[in-house]
Amino acid sequence: MLRPSTAQKAGRVALILLALLLLSGFLVLPVIAVFTQALSQGWKMYRDSIHQEDVLSALRLTGLVACIAVPLNMAFGIAASWAITRFEFLGKSLLITLIDIPLAVSPVVAGLMYVEVFGLHGWLGPWLSEHNLHVIFAVPGIVLATVFVTFPFVARELIPFMQAQGSDEEVAAVVLGANGWSVFWRITLPNIKWALLYGTILAASRSIGEFGAVSVVSGHIRGQTTTLPLEVEMLYNEYNFTAAFAAASLLTLAAIVTLILKKLIEMTSGVHRHMDEKEVES
Amino acid sequence: MSIQVEQISKTYGSFTALVDVSLTIASGELVALLGPSGSGKTTLLRLIAGLEAPNSGSILLHGEEATERSASKRGIGFVFQHYALFRHMTISENIAFGLRVQSRRLRPSRKEIRDRVRELLHLVQLDSYAGMYPEQLSGGQRQRVALARALAVRPSVLLLDEPFSALDAKVRKDLRDWLRRIHDELHVTTVLVTHDQEEALEVADRVAILNQGKLEQIGTPQSIYDNPASPFVYNFLGNVNLFHGRLLADLSSQGHSGATNESAQSAIGFVRPHELELSRDLPPDNKAVVATVARIHAAGPQIRLELNIAGNTRPVTAELSRKQFEELALVTGDELFVWPQSMRLFDDPKSEALLLDQGAGI
Repeated sequence: MLRPSTAQKAGRVALILLALLLLSGFLVLPVIAVFTQALSQGWKMYRDSIHQEDVLSALRLTGLVACIAVPLNMAFGIAASWAITRFEFLGKSLLITLIDIPLAVSPVVAGLMYVEVFGLHGWLGPWLSEHNLHVIFAVPGIVLATVFVTFPFVARELIPFMQAQGSDEEVAAVVLGANGWSVFWRITLPNIKWALLYGTILAASRSIGEFGAVSVVSGHIRGQTTTLPLEVEMLYNEYNFTAAFAAASLLTLAAIVTLILKKLIEMTSGVHRHMDEKEVES
Repeated sequence: MSIQVEQISKTYGSFTALVDVSLTIASGELVALLGPSGSGKTTLLRLIAGLEAPNSGSILLHGEEATERSASKRGIGFVFQHYALFRHMTISENIAFGLRVQSRRLRPSRKEIRDRVRELLHLVQLDSYAGMYPEQLSGGQRQRVALARALAVRPSVLLLDEPFSALDAKVRKDLRDWLRRIHDELHVTTVLVTHDQEEALEVADRVAILNQGKLEQIGTPQSIYDNPASPFVYNFLGNVNLFHGRLLADLSSQGHSGATNESAQSAIGFVRPHELELSRDLPPDNKAVVATVARIHAAGPQIRLELNIAGNTRPVTAELSRKQFEELALVTGDELFVWPQSMRLFDDPKSEALLLDQGAGI
């Protein structure tokens, strides 16, 4: 290895310091600010802010939406990745492109698309209202918007992982007499479990925090169609800063938990290390 | 169980993998499918396994039509080049897998499975590795586990896809001998795909040589080595010297070995390095050429010489015993007389140009 000169060393230190400075300025300080603001009126005030009926109801709705959207996307993600990595079929590249659409499209646009389809004046609106089904400005719309936005997370995590693993083990299982179902449960799922969990956590975190798409379809009915991020915005717009930051701190906590889980998975399973090692080997 | 492959053709898009291949493998036989990469040997194996479907032709197992039968119902054991062990299962779980996924009606009891696993671990000499995971084993050990796993379901056919090619030379040699012993013990019909001619000739009862999707020749190792049916087979089965017909026309009249073409003008001649005779003195019939010793490879049981022959652009390789080498007392730069004990002649059509380009001493 080359020995760096003094100037190079100084340059390196300067770069690291700059990175740390930016990181603390843009990331760490704001996170601290959220909690400081939330707790500025004391611990009791913080608890009371969270224990408001509206905040609790928003919390419940957010949990409910995540509980529906995440399993749906797990199922979709597994199905899509299996199809893409294990089979050749017409329209495969189209499917791969479609999976990425939610990442490319602004969430607001996603919300508007659902309004256009399911809204009162949308394509299916009249039929839906005849049958007394409420999608827009109701929970189903929020779930749909969240599913759309979190669509790619599981699949994008699984596809490269399953490509790197190859299908040899599955073929071996088939030759040994296993049917499709047992191949999936006994071979595929155990092999992808960490990558699946990783993608699921990302999807869960996004579905808890989603604002734009949900905001368009929700209608902001307090206690009914308001998720936690929407509640934060509404409280903030009402100049109820302490309550807004208290609710925001819950979202921040969720994010921190996500990061810790993500790191733990990386450490125990080597999900993201795995692919680097492959490259080194070959 | 016998395997009959009848007029099988397989294409992938515009690539033709197999053309009209037919062969019959008798029950209990060990047949090697030998060929360079892209010759279709692995495709043929996967077709027999049911992992691919042919475009035309049929496959019969034990005399029964099996072309449409799914891989899981063919009763075969398959061993992959890269082992394909289940990484999240222990060695015994890997071996037990084929038994555990059987339908409840057929599945052996837990105790029977346990006994079978123990028996197989013993067969592959890995008794103490039962509780380990594949990643804790060496390549050679993993491939033995893969074989045990394939044998667990008592397959009537065992298919091996370049099973030893990812292993280093020493391990490969050991496993090859060991595979032959296991085969002699179990007598399960076995098809082995390999690109290593030495491996094929050493292990198999019969060797089928494939080239560009066609079956070039099938026969016992000795018969194909002694009587190669085509220039390709001759070339593929070991080192060989190639001569233009004209250059050694007078030499070839001395050689015999079933010459296919008497017209020296359009023939190419093949002589294996050990079939070249060397002498300091001109042989009595005067039919020899003068060669210069360009290089001597003296490591190994046989001495290998590279000889330059006037008019031949590439050096010719000769092999001789240590004893003969010492008698001749050769050093680099010496001149001596060279002639073939025997030479095999083939037509020299344009399509063979590629072979010629590779020149002598491959």
